[in-house]
Amino acid sequence: MTVVTLLQTAAGGILTGGVYALVGIGLSLIFGVMRIVNFSHGEFMAVGMYTAFVLFRHLGLDPYGSLLVVIPAGTALGVAVERVLLAPIARAPEHTAILMTVGVGLILSNSLLFLFGAHPQTLLASYSTATVRLGPITLSFPLLVSFGLTVLVITALYLLLTRTDLGRAIRATAQNRDAAELQGVDTAWIRTAVFAIGTVLAMAAGVLLLPLLYVFPTVGSTFTLKAFVVTVLGGMGNVVGAIFGGLLLGLVESLGASFGATNYRDAIGLVAFLLVLLVRPAGLFGRSRV
Amino acid sequence: MSSGGLHPVLRIALLVGVLAFYPLLFGGTLNFGFSLVLFAALATSWDLVGGWAGQLSLGHAAFIGLGAYASTLLWTRLGLPVWWGVPVAMAAGAVLASAWGWITFRLRGAYFALSTIAVAEVLRIVANNWADLTGGPEGISIVSLPSPFGLDLFGRTVQFYLALGLLAVALLVSWRVGASRFGAWLEAIREDEDSSMALGVNPARMKVLAFVLSGVLTVAGGALYAVHLSFFEPQGVFDLHLSVQLVLMAIVGGMGTVFGPTLGAFVLLGFQEAFRSTFQQASLFIYGVIIVLMVRYAPDGLTGRLQTAWRRVRDGRRALDAVP
Repeated sequence: MTVVTLLQTAAGGILTGGVYALVGIGLSLIFGVMRIVNFSHGEFMAVGMYTAFVLFRHLGLDPYGSLLVVIPAGTALGVAVERVLLAPIARAPEHTAILMTVGVGLILSNSLLFLFGAHPQTLLASYSTATVRLGPITLSFPLLVSFGLTVLVITALYLLLTRTDLGRAIRATAQNRDAAELQGVDTAWIRTAVFAIGTVLAMAAGVLLLPLLYVFPTVGSTFTLKAFVVTVLGGMGNVVGAIFGGLLLGLVESLGASFGATNYRDAIGLVAFLLVLLVRPAGLFGRSRV
Repeated sequence: MSSGGLHPVLRIALLVGVLAFYPLLFGGTLNFGFSLVLFAALATSWDLVGGWAGQLSLGHAAFIGLGAYASTLLWTRLGLPVWWGVPVAMAAGAVLASAWGWITFRLRGAYFALSTIAVAEVLRIVANNWADLTGGPEGISIVSLPSPFGLDLFGRTVQFYLALGLLAVALLVSWRVGASRFGAWLEAIREDEDSSMALGVNPARMKVLAFVLSGVLTVAGGALYAVHLSFFEPQGVFDLHLSVQLVLMAIVGGMGTVFGPTLGAFVLLGFQEAFRSTFQQASLFIYGVIIVLMVRYAPDGLTGRLQTAWRRVRDGRRALDAVP
């Protein structure tokens, strides 16, 4: 393997990893604040993919442009699911919430199956196969755009968490729910807001991945797993860690695949996940949350 | 929790005794009967770790797949007959469960549930890609089987009684666990891990034990499932939906009870069979709806509901008797 192919592979891996990070951050944020592991996270991503797909096919809306529709739609979906299904069981044991999200995931993925059929579909925009040359490296144009938008979304989230009252309230709730409540934070509403943000992040990631992937109703379950891996690598509830977790997963997968383990691509991340559990259960980057 | 009446062992014997007539009465639907009994056994096994110990495993398909592949490959590749192959597979299951539990049970909360999916998925990917050993995604078929005591293991009736035997074992184990100090410890861990430690219980060790017990029984069920299918592929036996199905049966029937998972298996499979033509595509959608509704409105499952109703009837009658 030459240096150029190595660089090429690494660059592709990091760009994909950026989008993984976006999926992982939402999951990590939800866990950090709500202490719920959202097993339907990947399914929300799939819903985002199909939304953009339908808008493109029937209205000719550019996939990236459909973010303008997907973001409000994701907010509404997230608020609805949290208010109706998760809020009533907020004080129940942990496995109750896991089961609930497993149920929500099954409903979502099978609704997609009814609506669109099981066959993988792909979206062909004018720029789907376009590439950008960067010295000796060739990069896929949609992947670059997706990565750029990911950076933008993550920056926006960072500003939201650090510079706004909502962000401060979210961080306070993550640190200590009761203390936040005593300071006048309406933590029930914060939980709803956080679940909505997480849902939006997942659905946006789906939109950004659409030009790169085949879309099929069960695509989400793979990504739920990837999001878990990203989150555990970065430390559960650690948002900054999730960014590095995502980049790392993208890099490892891409390099692992190019070293001849193509068929084991999805297994690599899972094995890494189990190893991290064994060695550093708090994640690779310490233990701070949100 | 016993609502009076028969000793649990007698109740188990009664249930198994009644089910034993199934092949005589419904000889035409033995496949369905086999599924009922096998899945009841698998769900009861799942409940040992999921219900009694409260550790949500979403990857029990790992054990089903392990049982299916290990026992089948030992026979087709090494010629080891199933009555040796299954114990070897069960031992492998015990090793897998101990190692896996040892890694994940030191951590609390969701890590275990997360790891269960990951382990099942890794095993599926390996089974898919290690084609030289497993036959890969095309699957593997069992062409011939030895016949112990002249029994045809391909025969549906024989398979039914083997599954019924497994169910009897699983129910007895579940009853023994529930009635023992070990079971009380598991429940203490489920309710409050910190307090259980204060009582001198080692939670990680107890959870691993429950997991091994559960895994070993599930491996046996997986081996039986393989013989019944006589042709299977990684996607079929390591499937996440298979795992979810077991969880669902236990929830619907009532987690942490002896008969709950069996009741859940019968209700769900009966429902699925009755509406098969209508809902063939929709079964997972319906499963999702059932999970959401049960978690929201009946977290104790049908057994819990029935017990509450029964108590209400009984107390009502007593109140009436008390009136002079």
